[in-house]
Amino acid sequence: MNYWGLIIKNPFRNKTRSALAIVGIAIGIATIVALGLVTSGLEASTETTLKAGASEITVSQTGSSNFDTSGSIDENRISDIEKLKGVNQTAGILRASADVSDGSNMAPGGGFFVNGIDPSQLSLMGIESINGSKFENGSYELILGKTAAENLNKSVGDTITIFGKEFTISGIFESGNIIQDGGAFVSLNVLQNITSNENKITYIAVKVDNNANVTRVSEEIADAYPNELSTTTAADQAGKINDAMGYIDTATWAISLLAIIIGGVGVVNTMIMSVYERTREIGVLKAVGWRSRRILGMILGEAIVLTLVAGIAGTIVGVVGVNVLLAFSSSFGSVIEPVYSTELFVRAFGIAFLVGIIGGIYPAYRASKLAPTEALRYE
Amino acid sequence: MNNETNKDSRKILIDIKNLKKSYENGQIKALNGLDLEIQRGEFVSIIGPSGSGKSTLLNMIGALDVADEGSINVAGIDLLNTKDLSKFRSEEVGFVFQLHNLIPNLSVLENVQIPMLETSLSSKEMEERACKLLKSVDLEDKINQKPTKLSGGERQRVAIARALVNHPSIILADEPTGSLDSKTGDIILDLLKDIHQKENVTLVMVTHEPYVAQMADRTITVRDGKIQEDTMKSN
Repeated sequence: MNYWGLIIKNPFRNKTRSALAIVGIAIGIATIVALGLVTSGLEASTETTLKAGASEITVSQTGSSNFDTSGSIDENRISDIEKLKGVNQTAGILRASADVSDGSNMAPGGGFFVNGIDPSQLSLMGIESINGSKFENGSYELILGKTAAENLNKSVGDTITIFGKEFTISGIFESGNIIQDGGAFVSLNVLQNITSNENKITYIAVKVDNNANVTRVSEEIADAYPNELSTTTAADQAGKINDAMGYIDTATWAISLLAIIIGGVGVVNTMIMSVYERTREIGVLKAVGWRSRRILGMILGEAIVLTLVAGIAGTIVGVVGVNVLLAFSSSFGSVIEPVYSTELFVRAFGIAFLVGIIGGIYPAYRASKLAPTEALRYE
Repeated sequence: MNNETNKDSRKILIDIKNLKKSYENGQIKALNGLDLEIQRGEFVSIIGPSGSGKSTLLNMIGALDVADEGSINVAGIDLLNTKDLSKFRSEEVGFVFQLHNLIPNLSVLENVQIPMLETSLSSKEMEERACKLLKSVDLEDKINQKPTKLSGGERQRVAIARALVNHPSIILADEPTGSLDSKTGDIILDLLKDIHQKENVTLVMVTHEPYVAQMADRTITVRDGKIQEDTMKSN
């Protein structure tokens, strides 16, 4: 027997009480781990999304949302904007939400985004490499995003029915953009035709000249078509996403703090009860010559053992929980890939350790200060 | 003359002068100017009615409690002017309580090892020493059992082994037979007396039973916090 063995053994003397305390802390740790995995997964996919877009400016109709699927801009605006100073290249995109009705596995949310574009301008959408080939202009061919292909269990040469028409999959692409990779690209004029959006597009992707100022070009486009067109730069999007990530991060820290407080209270309660029950035993330890700081260390160590066990349990529950949820969630499972960073696990165990210290320090101090004669008289 | 004084002082293990201790803001006077000297190797019983101050005296000798006034010197250590008494308790004193006070979730062997955790002994040395002591109290076949599985007498023998494990100079026994039947109590008393003789350890035992007290070489009767009678056993 040694001192450390005693510290590891003691917390499990009252199994029910210790298990309840562990469950309380583990829930907090599991929440921290799960949120951390999801947010870092989101951050990673957002970063790839932003890097993937080759266009720097997105032009949409004033008042429309980011995920608008109607053709609301006149196609002529593509060439109008291309003529503006500082604009290098433009691409008109018509976006439509399609139902997959061939009886195969459903795509996220039961449908997916189909984007109509001139195949020569796919590079503006960040699509550089395609497994297979591009679709021909005016053909009933499409290229399918990797995630959509996995969800629908499709490969090059297969067919897919959208808007009541059968399309042949000419290629499969991976752009890194979570929304694009969950959808498909078809010829612009074909999509306009089958969705009755002749000469209409949803938005225009703009690539600026190498030496042009993106913000200035963006403002010039908006100024040229007041009350009609609005512009968003990639930097704006990045800023908004960063803000959103910041909120999620703050929420994660707030939950961590809450976990520390709730877990800490649980540990204080468990350890105080334990010290009360073992008052006479602590008296004996003092009588046989244990120093106060050894008793303090023992009780504190027991609290830390409890919280570290909770840390392990919480981490396992968090990791398994996120993976199970993503596996069963068709909407998020395909777009969020959990990121297992050392920092996240260090944070989870750091919090567990901190809860142990905070929760254990008072009961440990109390135990170490017990007068031996009073402790030995305790009934 | 001087040599004789030095020789005497070397033999005195416990030297108490005018020791006072009161509780509840001085309303209860547990020790009221008590003087006592105990020689190294003596077997002393302290007897007296309930509330006479005998257990308080034992706690003072074992440094479990601190006196208000006077002086108490045990094994050359001034207990009133020593800040950390845990070392003293670890090295010089072994306690045997009425209710044995074993730790229920630890085995018999682990209970005996507990006092040694404050020493620099290795795990192997601790185990060897504990096993040897448990063998000497006839419990070598129960070392892995939990105290709850033992009889009252067996538990008290474990407590005696625990008290001896750090080779103390004094064993302080507070009503060691108080919770035992007379037959088991006799076995425990014989064991304590045997240890006292073989190990030449000073044994101070508090009891309220005259029959138990007369087993000691010297009987001190305490009443109202003072020594009322101090008698040596005539051979």
